[in-house]
Amino acid sequence: MDILQVTNLTKQFGKYKAVDDITFSLKEGEILGILGPNGAGKTTTIQMLLGVLTPTSGQVSYFGKPFHLHKEEILEQVNFSSTYTKLPENLTVSENLTFISYLYDIKNRKERIIKLADLFNLTGLMNIQCSDLSAGQMTRLNLTKAFINYPKVLLLDEPTASLDPDVADFIRKFLLEEQEKFQVSIIITSHNMAEVEEVCDRVIFIDQGHIVANDTPEGLAKTIDTSHVELLVKDGLKRTVEFCNEKGMKFEIKGRYIVIDTKEEDIPILLYSLMEKGVYYDEIAIEKPSLEDYFLQVVKKKHESSSD
Amino acid sequence: MFIMKHSINRWSDVIYWPVIDLLLWGLTIKYVTLLSSNPQKVVVSVIAGLLLWTLVWRAQYEISVNILEDLWSKNLINLFVSPLTFWEFITAFLIIGLIKVVIGFVFTSFIAYLLYRVNMFIFGFYLIPFVLLLFMTGWWVGFLVGGLILRFGTKVEQFAWSMISLLSPFTAIYYPLSILPNWAQTVAKFVPTSYIFEGAREVITKGILDPKKIIICFILNCIYITLALIFMRKSFDKILQKGLVKAY
Repeated sequence: MDILQVTNLTKQFGKYKAVDDITFSLKEGEILGILGPNGAGKTTTIQMLLGVLTPTSGQVSYFGKPFHLHKEEILEQVNFSSTYTKLPENLTVSENLTFISYLYDIKNRKERIIKLADLFNLTGLMNIQCSDLSAGQMTRLNLTKAFINYPKVLLLDEPTASLDPDVADFIRKFLLEEQEKFQVSIIITSHNMAEVEEVCDRVIFIDQGHIVANDTPEGLAKTIDTSHVELLVKDGLKRTVEFCNEKGMKFEIKGRYIVIDTKEEDIPILLYSLMEKGVYYDEIAIEKPSLEDYFLQVVKKKHESSSD
Repeated sequence: MFIMKHSINRWSDVIYWPVIDLLLWGLTIKYVTLLSSNPQKVVVSVIAGLLLWTLVWRAQYEISVNILEDLWSKNLINLFVSPLTFWEFITAFLIIGLIKVVIGFVFTSFIAYLLYRVNMFIFGFYLIPFVLLLFMTGWWVGFLVGGLILRFGTKVEQFAWSMISLLSPFTAIYYPLSILPNWAQTVAKFVPTSYIFEGAREVITKGILDPKKIIICFILNCIYITLALIFMRKSFDKILQKGLVKAY
């Protein structure tokens, strides 16, 4: 079942189309990643999904109901967290959470706040003013805020940015648990491709206001047919370079290593040819294409087209 | 109310400045009226005028500054991604403002009685419509300023402190309207508070009040409140269109 349906959504600022006729959906219990280079239209899309930016055209529906007609009712079941938003800094953690719990009319607010504060390791900070929190603590507070109303849909913008790796790992596991236990549907924007690959069931890639891809992270990575073969060459680095130049293969020398880009099916031929040329290597690592490669490819194409 | 807990400034707005005004103006006018034939009446009308004007000023200030507070702390995004409606947002400001203004008014009225023997109950039951109508004026000016702040952001924040003072010369807080030049008297006819302050002086000097003044003031306030709310709502819609509720 589609929890969120976005149809032909467009946002135009003067002559500039920040988001151009995008259509996608979010299923119950699905984690959807929205990726794209800076200025692609991700934030504009999120703002329209939250109702803080009016679309120029198109429609957003949650739970089968048009958002613009049932905004308050829908927002009771939706929440949002961003590394880049703040809560009033002159209030304590406890006061901010209490205030937010009133906004969502949470019935068992004290218990809910205590439980979430414990979960996000904020218990010892409850009486601290938010101006005294570190960036990581503020991010945890924002996430606590986002879960306060038992949301059915969560919109998370860079949820783990500025967090220590262990805390970021905890957050990712927490999101996956919430998804499994309560069928929470989540939309995530992130620049951490490994994170997106780990938690997202599906990814839409936005570029210049358009959706250019909509697939699983693995599916997107598969559209890149180049793998990286990394060799620690013991003998024959010059011969390897000559071979690559001869075959028109891209390569990069990183210290004692050479990284060669080649199609996955051509890897055995490459290794066999190097062996024939008497190249010896101590280590070999084969890196399959990742979401990051896909991202880099799109960004590269964008730069090429803008410089033309 | 949480903000009040942490902000001495916000409490000084409620108590400190009104008391300072009261002291300065009270002492000044006492000195000036030493030459008057009925100094106590002058003291009463000036001090009462000051206290009543504080109601208007504070009512608008509470709306404007609370909106500014949300802009300064970048809290608007948290408010408007929640189920809070625009009208609940406005009502919250009115309730908090009302509580603070009433506390301030009661406190300064008490000080006025202690220092200058000015009893605000001199107005009897007229005090109730006076207070309500002055609140109404403060509210529509507050909505107007709030709309401007929503539309243009903190670059027009100075209006929160200064806009209301535009009305004060035409309100005739400390002097009768007849002192104003003719053109200003014409302008004053469209300023609701002028009817209240003229009426207050009538009560002090003659002990009666022309009910027409209350009715005209009420009608003008209703018109202005409606227009100011429409303007504020339009400003809010505008920021949603332009995306000025900056998430990031």
